Amino acid sequence: MSKQLTRYALIFISLLAIQLLVLNNIRLGGYINPYIYILFIMLLPFEIKGWLLLVFGFVTGLTMDAFSGTLGMHSSATLFIAFLRPYILSYISTHATTDKKGRPTMSMTDLAWFIRYTVFIVLAHHFILFYLEAFSFSHFFHTLLRVILSSIVTTFFILLGQLLFIRD
Amino acid sequence: MNSLLKFLEKYHFLLLFLLLEGFSIWLLANNNYYQKASFGKISRGLISVIDNQLSNMSQYLRFKQANIELVVENIALRNEIAQLKNKLERNQPNRVDSIGGAKYTYSTARIINNSINRQNNYITLNTGSAEGVSREMGVITKNGVVGVTAAVTRNFSTVISLLNINLKISAKHRRSGTFGSLYWDGIDYRRVILSEIPQHVSLTQGDTIVTSGYSSMFPPDIPIGIVDEFELKGGSFYEIKVKLLADFKQLDNVYIVKYYQAWERNQLENQKQNE
Repeated sequence: MSKQLTRYALIFISLLAIQLLVLNNIRLGGYINPYIYILFIMLLPFEIKGWLLLVFGFVTGLTMDAFSGTLGMHSSATLFIAFLRPYILSYISTHATTDKKGRPTMSMTDLAWFIRYTVFIVLAHHFILFYLEAFSFSHFFHTLLRVILSSIVTTFFILLGQLLFIRD
Repeated sequence: MNSLLKFLEKYHFLLLFLLLEGFSIWLLANNNYYQKASFGKISRGLISVIDNQLSNMSQYLRFKQANIELVVENIALRNEIAQLKNKLERNQPNRVDSIGGAKYTYSTARIINNSINRQNNYITLNTGSAEGVSREMGVITKNGVVGVTAAVTRNFSTVISLLNINLKISAKHRRSGTFGSLYWDGIDYRRVILSEIPQHVSLTQGDTIVTSGYSSMFPPDIPIGIVDEFELKGGSFYEIKVKLLADFKQLDNVYIVKYYQAWERNQLENQKQNE
């Protein structure tokens, strides 16, 4: 139990450090911001209690907000995907994953499944985040373009990170 | 009571979500950008220290270019000083004033954190209240306006970038002298919008847009950009797309504008409004 806690604390800290120190500083044409810190929410165990999932979502978002001066923005979006996660998991569940215990990582599930899982979560998160950031629908398609481009890059980084670093 | 508990038990996931989400949205909607900047102040202090180190390292890579720019600027400033001294001596031989009667003074700062890819972009500078920086001071580079200071700690300050959809500054079309409000629409980091310029003004592509000096944050006639495209919006006013002179991707050294009479002026202007 405590081993698992330490592991999650490490994942949390390293994801936020990468996000804040590296990814927040790259500027690709003003359109693309990858947000990989949501991987933390994605990696929480399958059997986690619902309320705990929501609390983790909220706290993760609020930490991002605290470090980037965007009070409420990341917490809304991250809380939203924490809320959606059980529904997404049951929607895309296959025989391989239905009765699984443990964490939804790439190594224990198959690649196609993990990609679908990532795309759903990332799209939902970025959609909420970018529209809240713009706080209007007046540049609807422009914001949509930012959502889609950033989602592609985030998904790429998350998959890359899974391939390179997180192994069981 | 029992059925209430059952209800809570059944829907606690949804209810907790709605509660926290409501709280988040409330935070988002009820805080203006100054408060948000101050909220990040404590945590940003920590981040700033790290950013400062990173910036120290990457600055070496730009030294050569920066030196050339500084030399060119120095020459221009020296020439200007010589001219002004000459003028001053001729016009006011007996004036005694420690800052030479200047309304504005400039101090330099280095950017240690900058973003251009959000809708609300902020910049962090490596100077703070210890060097006399306070809230709502203008920040410029030699190429034009950069933003306005928001939160200030002892050694750092955050700047609301011109590339922040919440910032509006007063600007004018230099040739005609008509003024309007300038803001970013969140689309292209190289272009901002100048609105409220009346229809009768004759515009051409390439006209210079400068600060109006109507706010106490920027001195008049600081260049901002040049007219790129313009169209009539709502019949009688132009909406002008202004190409920024400063490249926000490459910002490094900036000047903070201190306006000595800001307090007195704001006092007077607020008084007028209250009456």
